[in-house]
Amino acid sequence: MSVPVMKVTEMKWPALSLLDKDGIAEFAENLAERYLVFGPVAKGSEYVFAPVGKGEVLELNYHTTILPPKKLLHQPFEVLFSFHEDGIQENIVEQPKQIIFGIHPCDVHAIQILDKAYSVEYEDPYYMNKRKNTLIIALNCSEPAETCFCQSLGTGPFLKDGYDLLLTDIGEAYLVEVGSEAGMELVEAVNLRPAARVALVEKQKVYENARRKFRKRLLTQGLHELLESNFRHPIWEKLKEECLACGSCTMVCPTCFCYNVVDKLDLSLKSGKRTREWDSCMLLEYAQVALGHNFRKDRDARVKQRIYHKLLYYEPQFGTLGCVGCGRCIKTCVKKIDITDVVSRIRGE
Amino acid sequence: MSKPKIAIYKMSSCAGCQLEILNFEPMLLDLLGAVDLSYFVMAKRENEEGPYDIGLVEGAITCGEEISRLKKARQQCRMLVAFGSCACYGGLPSIKNWTSEREIEERVYPQPHLLESTTAYGIDHYVTVDAYLKGCPASREELLEFVKGVLLGIKPYLRPHSVCVECKLHENVCLFTSQGKVCMGPVTTAGCGALCPANNKPCEGCRGPANDANTESLARTFDEYGLHRSDVVRLFRKFAGMTPEFSRGAEVL
Repeated sequence: MSVPVMKVTEMKWPALSLLDKDGIAEFAENLAERYLVFGPVAKGSEYVFAPVGKGEVLELNYHTTILPPKKLLHQPFEVLFSFHEDGIQENIVEQPKQIIFGIHPCDVHAIQILDKAYSVEYEDPYYMNKRKNTLIIALNCSEPAETCFCQSLGTGPFLKDGYDLLLTDIGEAYLVEVGSEAGMELVEAVNLRPAARVALVEKQKVYENARRKFRKRLLTQGLHELLESNFRHPIWEKLKEECLACGSCTMVCPTCFCYNVVDKLDLSLKSGKRTREWDSCMLLEYAQVALGHNFRKDRDARVKQRIYHKLLYYEPQFGTLGCVGCGRCIKTCVKKIDITDVVSRIRGE
Repeated sequence: MSKPKIAIYKMSSCAGCQLEILNFEPMLLDLLGAVDLSYFVMAKRENEEGPYDIGLVEGAITCGEEISRLKKARQQCRMLVAFGSCACYGGLPSIKNWTSEREIEERVYPQPHLLESTTAYGIDHYVTVDAYLKGCPASREELLEFVKGVLLGIKPYLRPHSVCVECKLHENVCLFTSQGKVCMGPVTTAGCGALCPANNKPCEGCRGPANDANTESLARTFDEYGLHRSDVVRLFRKFAGMTPEFSRGAEVL
């Protein structure tokens, strides 16, 4: 993995600045005057991406959020259009500009995968409409959580591209790097202290320190051959006994893009809304077709489908693995089923 | 189709499911625009004779008199619906099924010789059932979806998957993995909007088994969390212990 510092020297926007930690709230409020700003805030013992502005405290020390920021681009529930007896009314409205503030590198990579999924063959107007009006203020990870393994997949803990602004916690302040014209404008609108280039050395130290903190890894070398030759490994039978088929792992996944379309009629039966909501291949009904036949009736087939899709089937489709190592599926699993452990066990480790 | 006639029958129950119909309040008039509540003893003085298009049966069947009323209801209604978890699976009344009938009768009634109580079953133990609206109480939204489905002649969309799905869709904090509270959500049918977990209360399993519910595996996790075997049995037998899935969960340890 190349070192981020090397990249910075080649950047089009060389200006480095510093954002004092006690200036974060003011910075976010300033942005909130012009944009819808979403950032990590506390919800009970967890964190969620929520609107930031006056009153909401940004928690930039968060490890992860319950749902990925994907929810701001591909919403859990979304109205596609309304219909009535005379026709339909599209629901693609003028999208306000939004900022995802404090998004971690793994989740930025996940959005890059969704960008492909929602544009390669057929452009999804609902997703793209939000996406092109979204700015990304990313935050490099200095404290990976117990369940994180982005380092194994090259999707973290530090980000190389795909951001408008990139923050790194270098101790007394955040180092701010610019990644786009739009990011430059954000920086120019506020007064930030210019940073000396020595700040990049500090950044490198934080990076080296973060790298050492990973407790999980997923070895990608030879992964294709490994999975292709272990379709009937005894582990699938064990996972069938363990897995609750609850669907949580896929519901919290930042790269899962499946949805179900449901018509919601008014009681008059003359008007209604066509809606979509997140769906999951872990659920029994997912692969059921008309007259009741089900292509993935067995739980082991569904567990395998999830893991094979992320680690094997994505690559020919999108040119990248479908897992970014965010660890949400591990954290959310009641049965502690762990995708990194599944791969290790197949490897016979 | 013309306005369907609906009949509401009460068996062994707390009447909470039929109360949900009155709880429609602002929507009740819209509902009455779409259907005739022809037989609804709880709400109306004048009730029409059958036949009816839809019969909503609330409550478990726990005595001979209910069996004959249920069979008559089946004859009177084109579609018969198990309305709420008692009618679906026996519900709360079914918690008595693992104690002798006599002991239960004596515990509850001063003159038990007047009773003819039987094992508490859901209504499909005795008659053919066309639809199941789960929940304690049944969900108003699902009742509406069902009515709309009948009016259109299509299968209504009722969530078949786990409560976890709805918890995640609403981004609730997971009580199980974040707070160490045991929760029936992973094996229980959604459709309630994950109401209890959203209010910081673990799911009690009132809506019965979800699609492909792996109750044995969940019971083993309850055991790992330190629950006594008798607590695990109580969790699985509270609302739907008569279903094969929850029955397996209750018996695996």
